[in-house]
Amino acid sequence: MPRFEHVYVLNIMSDDHPGIVAAVSNAIEDLGGNIDSCSQTVLGGYFTLIMIVSLPEAVETGDLAGRIRSSESLGGEYQVVARKGLVSRRAAPADGTERFVITAFGKDQPGIVRRFSQYLAGKDINIVDLYGDRREDEFVLIGQLELSKQWDIRMLQADLEQMGQELGFTVKLQHENIFVATNQLRLTGQG
Amino acid sequence: MLRTDEILSTIHMLHAEHLDVRAVTLALNVDDCAAPSVDHLCRKLHSKITSRANRLVEICDRVGVKYGIPVINKRIALSPVSTILAGHGQAAAVQVARTLDKAAAECRVDFVGGFSALVHKGISQGDDVVMNSLPEVLSKTKQVCASLNVASRKAGINMDAVGRVGHLLLKIAEATADQRGFGCAKLVVFANIPEDNPFMAGAYMGAGEPEATVNIGVSGPGVVCSALKRRLALEPNLTLGDLAEEIKITSFRVTRVGELIGREVAAELGVAFGIVDLSLAPTPEVGDSIGEIIETLGLACVGAPGSTAAVALLNDAVKKGGLFASSSVGGLSGAFIPVSEDATLARAVGQGQLVLEKLEAMTSVCSVGLDMIAVPGDTPPETLAAIIADEMAIGVINNKTTAVRMIPVPGAKAGEVVDFGGLFGSTPVLEIRNAGASDLFVRRGGRIPAPLQSLGN
Repeated sequence: MPRFEHVYVLNIMSDDHPGIVAAVSNAIEDLGGNIDSCSQTVLGGYFTLIMIVSLPEAVETGDLAGRIRSSESLGGEYQVVARKGLVSRRAAPADGTERFVITAFGKDQPGIVRRFSQYLAGKDINIVDLYGDRREDEFVLIGQLELSKQWDIRMLQADLEQMGQELGFTVKLQHENIFVATNQLRLTGQG
Repeated sequence: MLRTDEILSTIHMLHAEHLDVRAVTLALNVDDCAAPSVDHLCRKLHSKITSRANRLVEICDRVGVKYGIPVINKRIALSPVSTILAGHGQAAAVQVARTLDKAAAECRVDFVGGFSALVHKGISQGDDVVMNSLPEVLSKTKQVCASLNVASRKAGINMDAVGRVGHLLLKIAEATADQRGFGCAKLVVFANIPEDNPFMAGAYMGAGEPEATVNIGVSGPGVVCSALKRRLALEPNLTLGDLAEEIKITSFRVTRVGELIGREVAAELGVAFGIVDLSLAPTPEVGDSIGEIIETLGLACVGAPGSTAAVALLNDAVKKGGLFASSSVGGLSGAFIPVSEDATLARAVGQGQLVLEKLEAMTSVCSVGLDMIAVPGDTPPETLAAIIADEMAIGVINNKTTAVRMIPVPGAKAGEVVDFGGLFGSTPVLEIRNAGASDLFVRRGGRIPAPLQSLGN
C-alpha cells in the first residue's frame, strides 16, 4: 500500500554518476512525499531508475517531472518521465502461474530479442525480468517469465529450441526453482 | 528475483558440465507378497511392483524436463526377497527373479534390486535359498540385482558366509562365462549395508523404512572435476584447502538438484521422500571420473602415494557440502571408485600404477569398497573370500559401509582387458598377489567377533 493518497510512477534516465538517487529523493522529500518502491540498474554507463512515489497532495505530472529535473545536483543529460500511478497495480504474480527462466546463447545477430519476445507475446507470456549482453560475437539472453499452468512445458521447449536452431542459438526453458535450489540457501522460491 | 550471475553459473553447470540426476530409486516393501503358493506369490509381487512403479519413468522424465535436468537411471529397490522366499526352495527363487525381471521391463526401469539376504550373523533358510540360487538367477535374468550383507559393526564378520561367497562368485562367473562373468557385476557383498541406498547393484529397502519411498543418487564426478579445472585455470596456485572448498560448493549445488527433483518425483508418485545419496558415481565416459579428480588435485597418476589422502579430501568435502544442502542425506554418500566404470582408474590399473592393495587402502576413506574389479578366473575361492574379508574388516572396524563387487573373469589372466559393455565399462584384470595363501584362514570359518566400541585408535 502507498504511504500517501496520490501515487506516481517516475522513470529517470541519465548517464551514470554519483548523486542521482540523492537528488531525486531530495525532490520527493521537498514535496512531502514518500518513496514506496524503487529499482535501479546501470547498463553500458547509463543509469535508469523506476520509482513508485506517493504524495499527500496531487500535482500535475509535468510539474513533478520538472521538479525532479531541476533538482540541483542532477548534472549532464537526463530524462524524467512521470505518470499517475494506479494503486491496484501491485507486482503480485497472477494466480495459476509459475516462474520459468528462458536462456539463449549464440552468435549475435539482429532480431534475437524480437524473435523470442514475439513468440512469448503470442502466447500471452509475461516477461518479468530481462537481461541481454553482447560479449565479443556472442549474445546471451536471459528472461524470467510468468507462465500460465495451461501451457505444456515440453511444447514450449520444443518451439523455442526449434527457433533457437534456426538462429544458431542454444535455448533452454527451465523452472526457476532449479536456479533457486543451486544458488540460494532455501530449496525453492517462496510462494 | 534471481540474479543474472546465479542463472549463468547454474546454466554453465547444467549444460557445459553435464549435471544430471544419476539415479531415482523407488524403494518398495514387498513382505506382504509372501504366500504359500509360488505362483500366487509371483502374481502379488508383479502386481505390487507394476502398480506402484509404472509411472516412475514418466514422472522422472516430466520433472526432468521441467527443470532441464536429465534423470539418467530409474530403478526399483525391494525389501530383501529372502523374507518372502522363506519356506520355499530354489526353483521358487528363480521364478521370483524372473517375475522381477518381467516387472522391471514393464515399468521400463533399468534395474531392480533387493534379491538380497542379510547374513552378517547367520544364514536363515530363506537366506540360504537366495544364496544358492544366485548363479542361476544372475545368469537367467537381466535386470535383477543381488546383495548380501556378510558383516556388521555389531555382529562382526560371518566368515562362513564370506567363505561361501568365494565359491559362489566362481559359480556365478562360470554361469555367465559367455559374458566374461558379468553376473558377478550384479552382486554386491557388504559390511554395514545401508538401508536406503539408491545405487545399483546394492540398492535394497531395509528394515525400518516406510512402505514405499523415493531415494536419489546425485550427479557424477564430472561436475566436480570441471569445477576444479575451471578454478585452477584461473588460479593455478590454489591450495588443497581452497580446492576442498570448491568441491564443497559444487557438492552443495549438486545435492540441491537431487533434493529438488527427488521431492517432486516422490510427491507425484504419492510416496514419502527418502534421502539424497551424495555419492559421486563415475561412468566410463571421459571426464566423469573419480580418478581424474584425484589427478586434478595434483597427482601424476591415481595409485601414486598421496592417492588415499586425495580421496579422503574429496570424500569429506563432498559430505560437508551435501549435508548443508539437504536435511535428508543417507545411503552411501561418499566417492565411489568402481574400477571398470571409471576410465582413469582402469587406465591406472592397466599401466600398473594402481594395484589391489592401494585400491583397498583408498576404500578405507571413501565409499564403497572394491568395486567392479576384475580378477583372474583361476583365483582360488578362498582367496576371493579373503579379499572380501579384508574389505569387510575395514568397514566393521571403521564403522562404515564397505562392499566388494568382484568379477573372477573365466579364463582371463592378470593384465587382460575385459569389456562388460555400456556403463559397466572395461578394465584390465587385476593381479592377485599371494593367491592361494589364505586357504586355511578362510576355511576355519566361524565369526570374527564384533569389534570394540571404544579405544578407537
